[in-house]
Amino acid sequence: MMQYRQDGMHSQKQLADWIDQVSFMLDDTLLYLDTHPCDKEALQFFEHFHELRKEALEEYAKRFTPLTLDSMASCQEKWEWVYGKWPWEGGAC
Amino acid sequence: MWRYEKRLQYPVNITQTNPQIAQVIISQFGGPDGELAASMRYLSQRYTMPYREVMGVLTDIGREASEMFRLTASFFGCFEGRVTPFYWK
Repeated sequence: MMQYRQDGMHSQKQLADWIDQVSFMLDDTLLYLDTHPCDKEALQFFEHFHELRKEALEEYAKRFTPLTLDSMASCQEKWEWVYGKWPWEGGAC
Repeated sequence: MWRYEKRLQYPVNITQTNPQIAQVIISQFGGPDGELAASMRYLSQRYTMPYREVMGVLTDIGREASEMFRLTASFFGCFEGRVTPFYWK
C-alpha cells in the first residue's frame, strides 16, 4: 500500500489512488465497527486514517479538482464542482 | 442524507469487449436481483431492527449497494473517457 506524504509531491493519479485505498480501508473498518462498536484498536485505526483521508481530499481539491462537496476550497471564482472532471470523463473511473 | 463523491469505490479499467460478461454484469444492474433492489431492501429493513449494530450494518451495506450500481453502470459507460456501450461493441 502506498504511503501518503503531506508534501504536495504526489501526482494526480498517485493521490487519487491513495484516496481510493484509504477510503476502501475506512469502508471495511466501519462495517467492522458496526458490529464491534467498542473495539478500541479499530476506533483508533479509523480515526487515524479518517484524518489522513480528509487531508488528502483537501489537497486533491486544492491541486486538482474537488472530489466531494465538503472538500471544496473556500474561495472559488466559479463553481468547481461542475467544471472538474466527472468519473466517466476520465476522472476517477 | 446521501453525499456524492466523484470517484468509484474500486477502479474500473476495461481493456476488451466481451458480450458474455456484459450479459452477466447487466443482470446485476436492474430487476429484482439487481444492486438497486438489494439496496432498497437493506435500507428499508433498518427501521424495524431490534439491534443498533444491525441498523448500522444495513445502512452501510445499503449505501455500498448503491455504489455497486454505479460501478456496474460504469462498465457500460466508461471507455477512455468516451461514453459508449463498450461491452456491447
